Amino acid sequence: MGSLERFNGRRSGAGKPIAVLSHGFGTDQNAWSALRPWFEQRFEVISFDLAGSGPRGTETYDFERHGSLAGYADDLLDILDEQDVQSCTYIGHSMSGMIGALASIARPELFERMVLIGASPRYLDDDGYTGGFKPDDLENLFDSMSANYQAWVAGFAPMVVGVDDSEVIADFSNALFRMRPDIALNTSRTIFTSDVRALAAQVSRPVHLVQTSVDVAVPVAVSHWLAQAIEGATLDIIEASGHLPHMTAPDEMTRILQQRLDRTAR
Amino acid sequence: MADSNALVSLSQFARTASGADLAIVVEVQTDGRVAWSTGSPVTSFSGFNLARSGMLEHAWNDQPVDASRFRLPTSILTALGGPAGSVLFIPAPSDDAPSSGLLLLWKTGASPEQCAASMALLGPSVAQLLSARRGAVHDIVVRNQFIDLVESVPAGIVLVDGDGLGTVINQRAAELLGQKPGRHRAVDLVAPMRALRQRCDNHEALEQAYAAQVGNLNFATTLHWVMGERTFEVDTHPVRGDGEQGRIWLFTDITADLLMAAELRRLASSDPLTGVPNRRHFEERSAQIIAAREATGRSVAVLMLDVDHFKKINDIHGHPIGDEVLKVVARRCRETLRERDLFARFGGEEFIALLAAPTADEVPATAERLRNAISGAPVHVGGLRIDVTVSVGGAMGEALPGSDARLLEQLVARADEALYQAKADGRNRVRMSG
Repeated sequence: MGSLERFNGRRSGAGKPIAVLSHGFGTDQNAWSALRPWFEQRFEVISFDLAGSGPRGTETYDFERHGSLAGYADDLLDILDEQDVQSCTYIGHSMSGMIGALASIARPELFERMVLIGASPRYLDDDGYTGGFKPDDLENLFDSMSANYQAWVAGFAPMVVGVDDSEVIADFSNALFRMRPDIALNTSRTIFTSDVRALAAQVSRPVHLVQTSVDVAVPVAVSHWLAQAIEGATLDIIEASGHLPHMTAPDEMTRILQQRLDRTAR
Repeated sequence: MADSNALVSLSQFARTASGADLAIVVEVQTDGRVAWSTGSPVTSFSGFNLARSGMLEHAWNDQPVDASRFRLPTSILTALGGPAGSVLFIPAPSDDAPSSGLLLLWKTGASPEQCAASMALLGPSVAQLLSARRGAVHDIVVRNQFIDLVESVPAGIVLVDGDGLGTVINQRAAELLGQKPGRHRAVDLVAPMRALRQRCDNHEALEQAYAAQVGNLNFATTLHWVMGERTFEVDTHPVRGDGEQGRIWLFTDITADLLMAAELRRLASSDPLTGVPNRRHFEERSAQIIAAREATGRSVAVLMLDVDHFKKINDIHGHPIGDEVLKVVARRCRETLRERDLFARFGGEEFIALLAAPTADEVPATAERLRNAISGAPVHVGGLRIDVTVSVGGAMGEALPGSDARLLEQLVARADEALYQAKADGRNRVRMSG
């Protein structure tokens, strides 16, 4: 079985430049539903479910390989190589932001440019760096996840969505419920304990950062850090709250994509 | 673990000596997956795959190669802290992991070549240490599986090694023997095993059974060790390992099973309302009693007893009261009879007794005592005071050789007739079959 099939991937719209959509933690590729039509008009779109997510999540997740973001980056590179993609526009949300960044350092030629939504190279605060979380915050998070996963999802989902959008909250909750709890716990450990700042600073491809002004997972300070660290990166801040602007603020997202990508895509 | 520490030191040495930025020892499975790694300056990371990297197919000749010729996994890049410039792989094929080796990476350009060339000498050491590590890990896994298995069995286990010197006991056996679980010298367990046996109520029988087998290496048996209220089924049989003969002792607590079996037997043979034996049990048991009397030709007697106007008690007070009356009648009768007399509920409000070896005048006297036990005092039930009487019919016969089951049939029929007569004569009285 090829990697695209293994990760439940979809590829549509042959002949146009390629866009790769990679979702974030707690969602699957359905997170792109609102933006997909916009992309499909302009690109040949490849999307897939990350290891551990979607209907195949239990089969695709490897506790060792996916114990670091590098394992996901290798999955992404496997898909691109097997699909014979020579160059793509990469759109990564949340954890997929740094997954794409790592993959682009390993194989810069494959990434024409990247849009990173709500990305963070480190979630823990550090000297001179605001990640947004303290070690105690994370321990509490992991504890409540392992104590009662259902109850944790019920509290976590509305907080991350950040706006009173019951449909998105329901979608996000359902995708989280579909993850096996031990995989969800290990994935969140991998994400929240990651620190790829040194590598993020080495990204050599054009990067467009997008984030909302109020995001429980990623403070605005993180995006400013990334914008400064990555040479030539642009940063668009959406005046809204929530970690999932591609789901809760698709119009605003489209406007930004139009502005950042359309000029070069045509 | 010693082998992995040695591999860490070895990769530190390789990195320092070659001027590389990263040295990692990778244990590569046949599918290219890195099952284990260690290195310098990073510690263990694994799960990435080298199958597509192109490195495993390359003909390495101790020369660093431009890293852009390969597709290095992102994990390696992360460990290195950025893209690699040059890479050198020193194959170290080890058991079951033929693509393993030592990987040296430089962030920029090539390395001092003379130094890299000498790195190849490390290959055999890496291979040997990887094999040793795998062996050690395998042993630990097998040992842990064995311990899990031994502890998951709901039995005490004493496993004597083939050489007769070592013994392993699990938690349950340790509790029985008053020892710690785990490995012991076999000689140290001889005394606790003997002490346990001697605590058994049936230890003499056990000593005899086991003494008969001394010196028999193929001895296999299952015996019950009775310790007060608890009974253990103790199975011992030889086990073969390493071509030598070991022995296992399995202690299974079957107390609950035995109690359950006894309870089931009791339930099957007793009347659920009154708790006295039922008709089936009466017939089985009286056949045995009669059979035992046959040789001596001694007499047996049957008394049939029926509660007078029982239907009226039910009609006036209701069935629950009627049931309580039957319980009292059964209890008073049982208390009136001798221990060795058999008493049962025959059906409805009818009871039956078998008197073993009575004299001729004992039978009507016993019947009279039964009648009196019921009519002598009213039955108190649910705040009521009910006068109850019974009629009794009796029959006596001799258990002669060959009389068998028919004697019981005859006695029951004659007692029943006498009972009918007692009823006809006005109830609350005793009549004996002529």
